[in-house]
Amino acid sequence: MQVTRVRALRGPNLWSHHTSVEAVILCTPDEECIDKLAGFEARLRARFPALSPLQPTGHDDRIPMAHVFELATLDLQAQAGCPVTFSRTSATNETGVFQVVVEYSEEVVGRLALELAEALVKAAMDDTPFDLDGALTQLRDLDEDVRLGPSTGSIVSAAVARNIPFRRLTEGSLVAFGWGSKQRKIQAAEIDRTGAISESIAQDKELTKKLLDAAGVPVPHGRVALDADDAWAAALEIGLPVVIKPKDGNQGKGVTVNITTKEQMTAGFVAASEFRDDIMVERYLPGNDFRLLVVGDKLVAAARRDPPQVIGDGASTVRQLVDRVNLDPRRGNGHSTSLTKIRFDDIALASLAAQGYEADSIPPRGKRVILRNNANLSTGGAATDVTDDVHPDVAARAVAAAHMVGLDICGVDLVCDSVLKPIEEQGGGVVEVNAAPGLRMHLSPSFGKGRAVGEAIIGTMFADGDDGRIPVVAVTGVNGKTTTVRLIAHLLTTSGLRTGMTNTDGVYVEGRAIDRGDCSGPRSARNVLMHPDVDAAVFETARGGMLREGLAFDRCQVAVVTNIGSGDHLGMNYIDTLEGLAEVKRIIVNNVALGGIAVLNAADPLVADMADHCRGDVTFFTADGQHPVMSMHRAKGRRVVYVDNGQLVAEQGKTIHRLPLAGVPITRAGAIGFQVENVMAAVAAAWAVGLAWDTIVAGLATFAGETDNAPGRFNVFNFRGATVIADYGHNADAITALVGAVDAMPAKRRSVVISGAGDRRDDDIRQQTAILGAAFDDVVLYEDQCQRGREDGEVLALLREGLKDAVRTQHVDEIMGEFLAIDTALDRLQQGDLCLVLIDQVDEALAHIAARVAAA
Amino acid sequence: MTNKSDLDFLRVTHLRGPNIWTYRPVIEVVIDLGSLEEQPSNKIPGLYERLLEWLPGLVVHRCGVGEHGGFLERLRDGTWAGHILEHVVLELQNLAGMKTGFGKTRSTGEHGVYKMAFRTRDEHVGRAALEAGRELLRAAIADQPFDLASTVAQLRELVDEHCLGPSTAHIVEAATERRIPFIRLTDGNLVQLGHGAAQRRIWTAETEHTSAIGESIASDKDLTKTMLASCGVPVPEGALVRSADEAWEEAQDIGLPVVVKPYDGNHGRGVSLNLATEADVRAAYELASRKGDSKSVIVERFIAGDEHRILIVGKQVVAVARGQALWVTGDGVSNIIALVDSQINTDPRRGSGEDAPLNALAPEKGAEIILELQRQGMTAYSVPQAGQKVLIQPNGNVAEDVTELIHPSIAHAAALAARVVGLDIAGVDLVCEDIGRPLDEQRGAVIEVNASPGLLAHLKPAEGAARPVGKAIVEHLFGTSDSGRIPVVGVTGTLGTSLIARLVGCLVNLTGVQVGVVSGQGLYLGHRQVAAGDCTGFDAGQRLLINRTLKTAVFESNARRILSEGLAYDKCQVGIVTDLEGAADLAEFYIRDADDVANVVRTQVDVILPHGVAVLNAEIEAVAEMAELCDGETIYYGADPAGTRIAAHIAAGGRSVYLRDGVIVLATGSEEQRLLAVASLKTATAKHPTSVLAAVAAAWALDVSPTVLAAGLRTFDAAAKTVPH
Repeated sequence: MQVTRVRALRGPNLWSHHTSVEAVILCTPDEECIDKLAGFEARLRARFPALSPLQPTGHDDRIPMAHVFELATLDLQAQAGCPVTFSRTSATNETGVFQVVVEYSEEVVGRLALELAEALVKAAMDDTPFDLDGALTQLRDLDEDVRLGPSTGSIVSAAVARNIPFRRLTEGSLVAFGWGSKQRKIQAAEIDRTGAISESIAQDKELTKKLLDAAGVPVPHGRVALDADDAWAAALEIGLPVVIKPKDGNQGKGVTVNITTKEQMTAGFVAASEFRDDIMVERYLPGNDFRLLVVGDKLVAAARRDPPQVIGDGASTVRQLVDRVNLDPRRGNGHSTSLTKIRFDDIALASLAAQGYEADSIPPRGKRVILRNNANLSTGGAATDVTDDVHPDVAARAVAAAHMVGLDICGVDLVCDSVLKPIEEQGGGVVEVNAAPGLRMHLSPSFGKGRAVGEAIIGTMFADGDDGRIPVVAVTGVNGKTTTVRLIAHLLTTSGLRTGMTNTDGVYVEGRAIDRGDCSGPRSARNVLMHPDVDAAVFETARGGMLREGLAFDRCQVAVVTNIGSGDHLGMNYIDTLEGLAEVKRIIVNNVALGGIAVLNAADPLVADMADHCRGDVTFFTADGQHPVMSMHRAKGRRVVYVDNGQLVAEQGKTIHRLPLAGVPITRAGAIGFQVENVMAAVAAAWAVGLAWDTIVAGLATFAGETDNAPGRFNVFNFRGATVIADYGHNADAITALVGAVDAMPAKRRSVVISGAGDRRDDDIRQQTAILGAAFDDVVLYEDQCQRGREDGEVLALLREGLKDAVRTQHVDEIMGEFLAIDTALDRLQQGDLCLVLIDQVDEALAHIAARVAAA
Repeated sequence: MTNKSDLDFLRVTHLRGPNIWTYRPVIEVVIDLGSLEEQPSNKIPGLYERLLEWLPGLVVHRCGVGEHGGFLERLRDGTWAGHILEHVVLELQNLAGMKTGFGKTRSTGEHGVYKMAFRTRDEHVGRAALEAGRELLRAAIADQPFDLASTVAQLRELVDEHCLGPSTAHIVEAATERRIPFIRLTDGNLVQLGHGAAQRRIWTAETEHTSAIGESIASDKDLTKTMLASCGVPVPEGALVRSADEAWEEAQDIGLPVVVKPYDGNHGRGVSLNLATEADVRAAYELASRKGDSKSVIVERFIAGDEHRILIVGKQVVAVARGQALWVTGDGVSNIIALVDSQINTDPRRGSGEDAPLNALAPEKGAEIILELQRQGMTAYSVPQAGQKVLIQPNGNVAEDVTELIHPSIAHAAALAARVVGLDIAGVDLVCEDIGRPLDEQRGAVIEVNASPGLLAHLKPAEGAARPVGKAIVEHLFGTSDSGRIPVVGVTGTLGTSLIARLVGCLVNLTGVQVGVVSGQGLYLGHRQVAAGDCTGFDAGQRLLINRTLKTAVFESNARRILSEGLAYDKCQVGIVTDLEGAADLAEFYIRDADDVANVVRTQVDVILPHGVAVLNAEIEAVAEMAELCDGETIYYGADPAGTRIAAHIAAGGRSVYLRDGVIVLATGSEEQRLLAVASLKTATAKHPTSVLAAVAAAWALDVSPTVLAAGLRTFDAAAKTVPH
């Protein structure tokens, strides 16, 4: 067995909606049916007992090795704890070649699982050992390393539940939600609106206290003391008992609490001076540590935090007591459990010493022994949810504290006896506020209920009903895509939306090219969705990108399929039937959002059939309003777009909009059939997005087919009284449509310039000239450097063969080089002639023609 | 000649708010001149000359004479030491870089004792300048030497330590220009512009809208580059390579010349710029992989041109500075020394003399140039190929303002870069040959986006005009018309002022507006008493002004507070004066009678905004007279509508609040609106009808409707004591 190609499908794809790894597998004839391999399955199961039952994939009972590989890849991930369920093996039209697709939750984990599965299969084949535990540990560690942490993860899950799309921007915790101008970002428990200044304030304890005090939030008052006497004076000003501590100290070093006498104060001052020169005296707040979580203008969770502790039984040593507590199965080692094991380290020993104990001391029965002055879950502390106990006044103070500092998400540290009563009544106070607080203690507290914190955070960023999406229109088909995309983008722009567009010429935002070249793949679409100035997006969605990587978006509002016709690019990527091609083009229809619309060509059966695969609604279009598909659809009261008596008609039930084609320049008053098709598709898409009809009419009137708008799409020039049309048409359907369009234009003598793309099948190349031979008097064939894998002269020969039975063509030239071919045709033109130039290097050829026109 | 006790400071007070001297903070000193009372300046030989020699800047002090040289004229003709000290202290502050102008000296009426006040921007600096000024003056009088230089140096250090940094100070100045008030929240550069709910915070060139996530993205250069590239902002294309072969391959793909640097490098170690040949790229790879301790090395397009700093505020470009990099272009024959001589040192500004603004460059001697050439694989004696550009100095210390020249496409790209990163204020670093040409014509690129950019390059460019970036930032925060102010009500006097303050607070609160009140009885936020006891001080007042929830703030004040601290607010919407009692308690401030008190209390009326209202007790003539000092409207209150002041005010069409037949009346001219009978008030409240009238007038001035006023009055209980919490 050989793994020849591995791809990551990062969006909805041919196989499923899931992110997946796709591998092409070559199997030897023996491997096509593993039953032929004696003892293989037994050896395999010995190495990986959890492997799912093997099922035949095809019409017969054969189980190919590819399927084994598929299941191993899936099950290895599942056993390592990844939430994956989908996998599939599919035979291709080549013998022994299979495509295997396996879902992943993290791309690198999926790829690693592929490698490990390959090793497993090989080990079972060769009867060599396989380290299953090692493999699973490797996967689990990698997964824990790359997947989102629990805080960020909870926010992302809440977004997903609200149908808000998300994208990780880094391997860390920076995540973008929504698309284009509606994007918001978080970084762990911090949102994009939170100011850097507010975070700095939260780190300055003195300033925080000053601000909280101004907001009427109780804080432990205090001041800096110069010496021990001054400290005692400060204590008397503040009121006993007090705390003395180094200013800006950490980890409780040099802190003496609950000072009530001058002697204690003198000792405390000496202790604090060992760490810092600046010494603070502060009111002592007795009681418990609480963490109040404020999101927006609400308190959403509260937890009491207890430091790691054990309770004496009068018989066991502290060490034994700790060991016993650590036996609790809820206490794990990492961040994934609601409790963590208590560490018995130097800090614990120091803490014990402060309480007069050693590791082997036996505390009396009922004595509470603290092992660390820090209630963090990660060091063995415990969190108890007390959200429902919080007195409204306490909640109000927490919100006031967060608001005063300016934090949208704020962890407020409160010390008091109980949150059941107002803070003021019990002499408690807020000691700190925290930006980007940890959420774990609220999501999965050690005791009590978990709280919907992620939901609350998403709720502050996105109003109810806002899913952060902008209208996305995906366009695919064999011909007419680029013009349809440009036209839809033009209509959206006319309505005032800042529009992003990708197509085979480039990426455009608000009319500015931000990238050039063939940009019909998912990377360009993703870039548009990330652009901060985009209110709506239109994507030309080519088959290549869909096969290579899947879609750039999980759902689109509108999917437009212009046509399949007799296809294009057949024979590539194991797709050699029109049905197979349609299945690829259908991916965008499969992924229309609920409430979205698929715009489908009613006259193209393969396209019309896609309607059954759309979870949204369908708008059918074709010029013939009486086409059976149209009639049926209309009868059901659903949307149809067609042409009637020189008018484009959009109809749904009793609603009928009529747009005269005379007002749509690119159709030449309806004369150019394929442009009418493009206009129908674009109008249906604009209707689906909800554009006003006035806007659509205005947009159609201002869209011109000239080079600026759509280079290489029926660009018409006047050259010395002759008509020259340049187009990028490069398959039989496109050429048929062009012939139809130019036939409608009067001309004395007709000539055409054409080359063939070498990556098309022989028949497809021949067919192009076969069509042209019936419509043109002169044909100029050319060949350029870029032969896409063909020998020199091969394409020319095929083109010539297509002209063998031409009924009209009288004269054929064969030229090397595109410009020379164009020049040859142009030089021959007389007044009133017509010349169709099928250009290949779009920009260069158009520039060349334009230069010739200007010079003429 | 002078006694030790001469120039004795009896008391030094920092008045932090509007005071009897001026609207702005001053230091006030009570000075006992001692024997110097008998020696005006003209009686001390050589004093004039010595002071002028040490402090020649005194010539611009206008003083009472009101013109250039005004003070010197007084000094020559004879003036007393307190007054001289005032000018010496101001001049020392100026020399230390803290420009101020205001000072005043007045006799207290006691022999030889003067009150002197001088403006200062910082208490520490002001107090130190005062001490230093006394030393200087004593030395000048005694004809002893004085080390001015070290004194000024010490003061400068204090200015650096305590005053706002230049960028922050510039923004604060721009706000002050628009009469937006400011409060420093820390000893550093964190400043609140505006008050209460209308405030905005800044910290140097960060605003409260500057996203923490945006800053974190900006600090991650790789992430920034990726995000910018995906949105079409040009950045230097680059690739990670793991061998010299790969490096050369990528270099050809990217296009020469290239930069080669370690993946995890710092401080430019192992970085090679401007590599144009295969040999150089390979050598640079080896260097980078060695210095970076890893095979991973970055190959990046080398961007030729000048480095520009583009300052974005909001969505706009507000300033562009060009840091001139110095380049030479090879001719294939000359070495670098020759090229520098013919292409750089020919600049007429360059020379070796002291007068030349710029130095001539010697590539074989200057350590930085040698290093720069080394990074490009060259020495001063290398001969670059014809047409090859060689960097001599990356960002020469010369910043030139080129704001007017920026091409719209570059402005768009820079503003987009800030938006993509998510910063409201950003310094975008862009390298290109010509800022005035479209970016894609010249393959320029954004190399960095900086949060909290320094503003100095735009405020003090070496060439070109300074840009009003502070104004742009203030506009970004406040729009074009917002004043950053919330309505402030000040109540000054001794009779019923606490009651008035609380009642105004309650009445405004009824309209649904969050109100804060400080009075002699405590601090209130809405209905809640947060603190008990006397809260009329400056610090308690600041608690209201920094509170982000408050939309109206009410302050009780009195003559003692004004004299000892100044008012807690710089301007107010409504100023109430009830009476001029209490002179007897103010002897320590040299206040002797009601006239003196009036002179203090008028501060309350002086700070009323032009569209504000003075609420004055019509029954005390000296209070009623203060209407003339008010920039805004006056509402009189008093029990009797027939009193002379109110009667005249009615006749003139002004607003008044009085009692008619036991009913509280709001009058506009002679048009009366009856509010409610005093008898309808709670008993404890009804005992203070005049105070109620004052509060009603103030609430009316804040547009509280009569219906709400009546409802509020009916329910307000002057006796009710709320427990503070």
